[in-house]
Amino acid sequence: MNRSALYWRAASFIVAAGFVGLWQVVANLRLVSPVFLPGPDRAWASLVRGFTSGDLLSKLLGTLEHMAYGWFAASVAGIALGAMIGSSRMLRSYVAPSLEFLRPLPVSAIIPVAIAMLGLTQSMAIFVIAFGAIWPMLLATIHGFAAVEPRLYEVARSLHMSRLAVIFKIALPSASPDILSGMRLSLTVALILAVVCEILAGLDGLGHWVLLSARSFRSADLFAGVILLGIIGYLTALAMSVVEKRLLKWRSSGH
Amino acid sequence: MIPERIKAFLLPIGALVALELWARAVHLQSDSLAPPSAIAAALVEAFKDGSILVATRDTLTSAFAGLLVGGAVGLAFGIALGIFHIFDRLMEVTIEAIRPIPSIALLPIALIALGFGYRMEILIVAFACVWPILILSRAAVSAIEPRLIEVSRALRLSPPDRVRKIIIPAALPRIFLAFRLAAGIALIVAVTVEIAINPIGLGAAIMTAQQALRPDLMLAYLLWIGLVGYLLNTGLVIAQRHLFGRAALVGDAA
Amino acid sequence: MGSSPALRLQPSSCIERPQIAFTDVSLTLGGKTIVENINLDVKPGEFLCIIGASGCGKTTALRLAAALYQPTSGTVTFDGEAMQVPRRDIAIVFQDYGKALLPWRTAAGNVSLALETIGVASSQRASRIEELLKKVGLPGHAGKYPAEMSGGMQQRLQIARCLAQEPKALLMDEPFGALDAMTRQGLQDEVLSLVAASGATVIFVTHDLEEAIYLGDRVIGLLPHPGRIGIELKIDLPRPRDQLTTRENPEFLRLRRELFDFIKASEA
Repeated sequence: MNRSALYWRAASFIVAAGFVGLWQVVANLRLVSPVFLPGPDRAWASLVRGFTSGDLLSKLLGTLEHMAYGWFAASVAGIALGAMIGSSRMLRSYVAPSLEFLRPLPVSAIIPVAIAMLGLTQSMAIFVIAFGAIWPMLLATIHGFAAVEPRLYEVARSLHMSRLAVIFKIALPSASPDILSGMRLSLTVALILAVVCEILAGLDGLGHWVLLSARSFRSADLFAGVILLGIIGYLTALAMSVVEKRLLKWRSSGH
Repeated sequence: MIPERIKAFLLPIGALVALELWARAVHLQSDSLAPPSAIAAALVEAFKDGSILVATRDTLTSAFAGLLVGGAVGLAFGIALGIFHIFDRLMEVTIEAIRPIPSIALLPIALIALGFGYRMEILIVAFACVWPILILSRAAVSAIEPRLIEVSRALRLSPPDRVRKIIIPAALPRIFLAFRLAAGIALIVAVTVEIAINPIGLGAAIMTAQQALRPDLMLAYLLWIGLVGYLLNTGLVIAQRHLFGRAALVGDAA
Repeated sequence: MGSSPALRLQPSSCIERPQIAFTDVSLTLGGKTIVENINLDVKPGEFLCIIGASGCGKTTALRLAAALYQPTSGTVTFDGEAMQVPRRDIAIVFQDYGKALLPWRTAAGNVSLALETIGVASSQRASRIEELLKKVGLPGHAGKYPAEMSGGMQQRLQIARCLAQEPKALLMDEPFGALDAMTRQGLQDEVLSLVAASGATVIFVTHDLEEAIYLGDRVIGLLPHPGRIGIELKIDLPRPRDQLTTRENPEFLRLRRELFDFIKASEA
C-alpha cells in the first residue's frame, strides 16, 4: 500500500474510533437505558470476562463447529453436483429451471421441516446449515462449469485427454473463480443459519448465548456476543479473500 | 427433440408424481412428509379460512417496511459516499466493521428493545437491507459518466438540483437493481426472524404447523413461501426490464 | 473457374504413401454443404498451404484433418487408418491463441499439459519444457502467465505446447492472422525452421496469399459455397526461404499473380 493510501486508512480508523467514543458518551449520559445499550467499556469487559472464565470461548467454538460441519458438507456436495450438472448440457436443461425457481426461496423455511425430521438437535442444525449453504455453491459451480471456454475442450480432445484429466485440469480450474465466490456466499449463509438454529434449539453456541443474555437483560454480555458474531463474519470473509487472491493470482496479472 | 420449455417442467412434475405414488403405496404416516395431494388440500384450506392471506400480509408488510427504511438509509449514505470521496475513505473502517455483523445477531437486541411484533422485525430487515443498497448505490454513483458531472457544473446546477436532475436519474437503473436484490433479502430475513422467534407472518405459521404435527400444512406453507419469493423476484425483473430495458441488466448475476 | 470438376491431386512421387488423405470428403451441417468432394493427399513432411476467400471452408477442411469434425461422407485417413477421434500425434495450432491457452497456468505449465498427457515422467518434464521454450524463442519466460505475454509470445507458447506432443503432423489455422506484420514475418521464419528440424507434415490455412507461397511446398485454393478444390500450385522456390530474396523472386511473383487471379475469380 502506498503512502497516501496508508494515511487515509489511518484516518479512517480514527473516524471509527471516534464513533466508538461517541457510543461511550451516549452510554455514559444514559441517553439510552443501559439495559438496552451498554457502553463499549462494559461490552469489552464482558468480552474479556467471557474468555478468561471460559464460557464465551466454548460458545464461540460451538458456533464455529456448526458452521464448519455444515459448510464443509455443503461444499463437497455442492461442487460435486455442480460439476456434474454444469458439464452436461442435457442435465442442465432439465435441472437448471427448477433450481432457478428455488433460488429466491428463503432457506430458513426448511427449518421446521428439519425439526420435524430430526428434532431440536445438533444434527438438525447441521442439516439446515448444509442445506442452506449448498445453494450458492451449487448455482455458482454450475455456472462455472457451463462457462468453460469451448476452445479448451477442443485442445483437450486433440491431446486425447482422459475425462478425469479434463475435469481436474481444465474444467475445475476454469470454474474456480465462480466456485470461490459461491463459497464466500455460503459462509455468510452458514453463519446466519447457525445462529438461527442455535436460538431455536438451544444448542451450545453464540446464538444461544445472545438469546439468553437478552432474556436476562444482560446487555453487556449481549453486545459482547453480537460483536463476536461480527468478528466471525469479518474473519471468514477475510480468510476467503486471502484464499481467493492466492488461487486466482493469474487473473490479476497482465491486462 | 423435447422442447426446452417442457424439459423445465419434467423434473418437478415427475418428482411430485413419484412422491404421490410412493406416499400412497406405503400409506405414509409421518410428522415431516405428506403426499402432494394432501399438501394441495391443506393449501386450499388455508386460503379458504384466510389464515394464509393474513400471514402473507404480515410478512410482506414487515419486509417492505424494512426495505423502505433500510433502503432510504442505504440510499442516502450510498449516494453521499459516492459523491464525496473524502467521506467515503474516512468511513471505510467503520463500514467494514459493522457490515459483517449478521442481521440475525441483532434479533435479541431488537427483542429486548421493542418486544415481539412488527417493529422489531422491520428493524432487523432494515439493517439487512442497508448494506446491499449502500454498496450498490455507492458504486452506481461512482460509475456515472464523468461527462455528465461536467455538464451539471457547466449548467451551474445547485447541489440539490444536481442530485435530483443528474445523479439520481443516471444511477437509477443500478439503484433499482440494488433494490430488487434487497427485496429478496428483505423477504428472506423477514421469514427467518419469524421462524426464529416472532409470532407473526408466514414464518410463524409454518412453525406452528410443524409443532401441531401437520406436515401437510407445513409443506403447504413452504411451497407458498417459495412461490411468493419467486413471484416477487420475477415481478421485479419484469418491472426492471420494462422501466429500463435490457441494457440495465448488464452485470446482473440473478 | 466456375464449374470445374473436382481435381484429384497427386503428389509428384506416387510411390510414397500419403500421410494424410482425404477421399471424396464432404461435410454437411444444418442443411448446408460446407465442403464437397475433397480429394487430397498430403505427403509425409510436406508443407501444404490452403487459401481461399472467406467462407470457402478452409478452416473446416483443417478441422476435418484434425478429426474435430467427422465427414458426412468420404473418409479422412492418417497413415492409412481412418480417423474417428483426434490423434495425439497430430497437433492443432488455433488462431485464437488466447482461448487455447490455460490462463491459470504459467507458460511452463501450459507446455507441461501436453507432456503430462503424453505420459512424460515428471522428472524429465522440466528439461523438456526449457528446451521447447527455447526452441520457440521464449527462454526465461517459463514463469509468466499468458495474460502477461504479448500476442506473438502467446502464439509461440501455443506452438511450443504443440511441439511438446512430438507431432507427426501440425495443423495450423490462420495462426498469425491476429498479429502485426513484423511479428508475423518473424514467426513465419521460426515455423519454417522448426518444421525443417522436426520433419513434421504441415497443413497451414491462411488468407494471406504471399504467406502461403512463402511457406509452402504446395498451395491449394478452395472455391466457396460449397468448398471444393479449385486450384493447385506447386511451389518450386528454393529453400531455405528468405523474407527479402524469396519474395522478390520472379517465380514468387508469378505464383502470387496466379493465386490473386484465382481469388478474384472465385469471389465473383
